[in-house]
Parts: sequence; C-alpha cells; structure tokens
Amino acid sequence: MVLVPLITRRDDVLTWLCLTLQYIILSHSWNIIGGYAGQRSLGHAAFFGLGALIARYLWLSGLPLFLGLLAGASTAAIFAIIIGFPTFRMRGIYFAIGTLVLAEILRIIFETTLPQASVFPTRLLATYNLVPRYYLSLLIAGLTVATVYWISHSTLGLGMISIREEQDAAEASGVDTLRHKLLAFAISSFFAGLAGGVFTYYAAALRPGQMFEPVWTFDAVVIVFVGGVGTISGPIIGAVFFVLLKQLLSIYLPGGIHILVFGVLFIIVVLFLPGGLIKLMPKLRKRISRGRHPY
Amino acid sequence: MAIRDLGLTVNEGEIVGLIGPNGSGKTTLFNLISGFLRPERGEINFDKKDITGLKPNKICKIGIARTFQLTKPFAHMTSLQNVMIGRAYGSDPVRNKRQAKKDCERILEFTGLAGKSHSVAATLGLAERKRLEIARALATKPRLLLLDEMMSGLTPAETESTMRLVKAIGDSGMTLIVVEHVMKAILKISSRLMVLNYGEKIADGSPEEVVRDKKVIKAYLGK
Repeated sequence: MVLVPLITRRDDVLTWLCLTLQYIILSHSWNIIGGYAGQRSLGHAAFFGLGALIARYLWLSGLPLFLGLLAGASTAAIFAIIIGFPTFRMRGIYFAIGTLVLAEILRIIFETTLPQASVFPTRLLATYNLVPRYYLSLLIAGLTVATVYWISHSTLGLGMISIREEQDAAEASGVDTLRHKLLAFAISSFFAGLAGGVFTYYAAALRPGQMFEPVWTFDAVVIVFVGGVGTISGPIIGAVFFVLLKQLLSIYLPGGIHILVFGVLFIIVVLFLPGGLIKLMPKLRKRISRGRHPY
Repeated sequence: MAIRDLGLTVNEGEIVGLIGPNGSGKTTLFNLISGFLRPERGEINFDKKDITGLKPNKICKIGIARTFQLTKPFAHMTSLQNVMIGRAYGSDPVRNKRQAKKDCERILEFTGLAGKSHSVAATLGLAERKRLEIARALATKPRLLLLDEMMSGLTPAETESTMRLVKAIGDSGMTLIVVEHVMKAILKISSRLMVLNYGEKIADGSPEEVVRDKKVIKAYLGK
C-alpha cells in the first residue's frame, strides 16, 4: 500500500484509493460506538463535520496540518462527551433519533452562519497533488484500524461489547456502563473528526454545511453493516465495495444512484446475511466442502 | 409492587429465604439492594457503609452480586466470555487474561457448565442459562449474593441439582438471599425464612416457625 504512488500516479487510481481509505476511517469510527458498544448513533456527521471545519480553517489560516487535524478531532471528542451525558439517558431508537436531531441542528447552524463555500487559495490549487493526500489517508486509516483492533482485544472492549449484548447484566457485573459508553463515544468521535480532517485536506472546495449532512452518517452505517458490524475487517471490505460501486455506477448512471443500489444491498444483507459480507466466505467454503463430501 | 417500611438485617454467612405471593415486592427488594431502583426514603447499609442510591456497578464492586429472574445472558458470547466479564470487572477485577480465564473455567466447572464453556449463550437451555447467571455473579467475587428465582421453570431433576449448587455456595461461607417459589426447595436451603406481603414483612424466623405462622398461611391461602 505504501508503494502505490511509486507504481502509478494515475489520478483515477489515487482518487479511488483516497476515497476508500477515508471511508474506512469514517465507517470504522462509527463501528466503535455502533458496532462494539452497540449504541446506534445517527449523529456521526456532527463529529465528521466539526473535525472537518476546524481542521480546515486552522490549516488554511496557516497552522501546521497535523495541529489542525488534532484540534478538530479533539473538539469532536469533547463535543461527544458533552452531548453524551443527556443522550445516553435514552436507549435504542430514542438514542438514534436524539443524535440524528443534534447533528441536524449543527448542520442548520453551519448552513446559515457559513453559507459561503470554502475553496483552497490559488497557491494551494496550483500545487495540488494527490500523493500526500493518499499518504495522509493511509496513515490515519492505519491508525484507526489499529485502535479498533486494540479496543477489540482489551478489557475496555469486553466491557463495551457487554453493554451491546445486555446493558443491565453488564451493569450488574460491575461494568460502569455510562463511563464505557462515553469513552466509546469520545474515541469514535475523535476518529470521525479525523476522517473529516482528512477529507477537508483532500477536497479542494466544499460548503461547510455539506460536512454535516446526514449522508456521512448513513454511508458509515451502511458500510459497517454491509461489511460486518462489530468486526475489524468488515468495515474495510464494506468500504472497498462501497467506493468501487460508487465509482463504477457514477460512470454509467446519473449521480447519486449508487446510494439507491447500496441501500437495496443494505436491506438484502441485513435480511439474508446478518453479520455482513464477512460471513459470506465461511458460508461459501462450507457449501463447497459440503458439495465435495455429500455424506 | 412497592416496598413499604421494610426493616431487614442479614448476618454474614446466613442463607435467607425470601418468599411471598406474586407482587409482594421480592424482586423490587432485589432491585433496591442492587441499585437498579432508588428508594424514596430509608437507607440500605452493607458492611456498615451506606450504599443507598449507588449505581448497580458500584454495588457490584462493593461485593453484592445478583442474578436476574428472566435470565439476561450476553447472548452472542460464549459461556466463558459471559463469566469473563464478571471476572474482569466485579469486586475483585482480574485484568490478566490468562489468570481470569483459569478462574472462570473453575467457576464454570463448579456451576456444572464446564462442557458448555464454548457454547454461545443464546444456544443454552433454560436450566443452563440460570446456571450461567449464577456463574457470572460468582465471577464478580461477591460477599452477598442475591438469587432471584433460580428454580422457576425447571424440571424436578434440574431443581434438585440447582438446589445442591445453591447449598454448595452457601457452604462456602457466602451470604445469600434467595427468592424462590418452589417451597420444598426454599425450606431445605434456607437457614432463615422471611415472608413479604404487599411490600411488608409479615414473618421472619426459622423455616419451621414461619410455615406454621397464621399470617403466612392467610397470605398464601386467603382468609
């Protein structure tokens, strides 16, 4: 993966890879709160947007990029803890709707206060190069996956999963469920903020309100569920698949139709392949081996 | 059902049987002690410390564990993983994975689930799920264990073996409060019997005394 830019500098290949890596960051960040801790937040766009805007404005005002990224991600994490206290009093669908509403409030605020599109200044546009974008996406994606791997093998992860499985029993077994949920929410939002920061470095022009649109949330949710919720490789497979489909369909069909296709795929997977595409391989293998040894 | 002006003291090492008609407040009492409900007034003390209004996870860490009448397993995890959560958190958390695993295997052995340690909890039968509740509670290393109807819905043979398990836990010196509808079982295990009716205590004493109490007979049989 590190060598890709040495082999090819084709813009279409690098764009495809950048997008895939960014969707891995975004969907895996949702996987922490939605997949492992089982709190199906629909407000993910809020943290993506906060990370994106803060990183962009700090960076464009002359600060080093990594400071901007860090500031954006940290703000997203702090915001998550603040809104976590009231929203975690709600469970299930109420939590989902509560977080969705919060993200929408932020979107409307930024649509009205910052209606102007933010475009890279000419000096940046003149030297725009996809290679550093690719490396930044790769680095942050690696960091995200490593963090999720660490969580899934830690006691913290065990506690998070126990909340997803049965919150009352987790609490009765000594798991401080509020603390675990807040922590999961903060880590998840930190990486969502980073995803926003990376995207903002990649996108030459964007409207601030656009960063808070619910589509960021739903893309992440759909990728995680199609790939495999609460797993390490699921969101990676899902993101590869999602971007591939998105790019291919945009060649042949009017823009946005990939969402429709992916939505239908989402329903099919949830109905017939709970656990996601990641469950497909062992299933096929079983079927093949069954064919070989009928008795 | 609400609990009203209930005074109750449990001594270390006792096995207190708690009985009463449906809706008499047995599970409510458990929810109050374990922190799932907060009393409007009055206080709950454990080991001379006031624990009124603490959250369930804090109560567990202090050394009071409970089981759920309607079992609440971590459904998609194995029995071993279920018990591991109690061991990794609980009142004496073991963060070393290998040590925790060894402890949990012993607990599963003790509760008769050794053969099921790698079965996913959702696939277990009712009797096994009830035992898993006990195993997970034991893994938190409690000093007081609240058992909520561990025998309801079981066959006579399963009831018999669960009774032996509860007795064995009591023999280990742990203090128990046991809610049960199966009369024969509760008379056999408990060292003291307490009867609730409409949220109030109507009898408290040795099992032999209590079953002959007029108020108790009236509460159960009417008139």
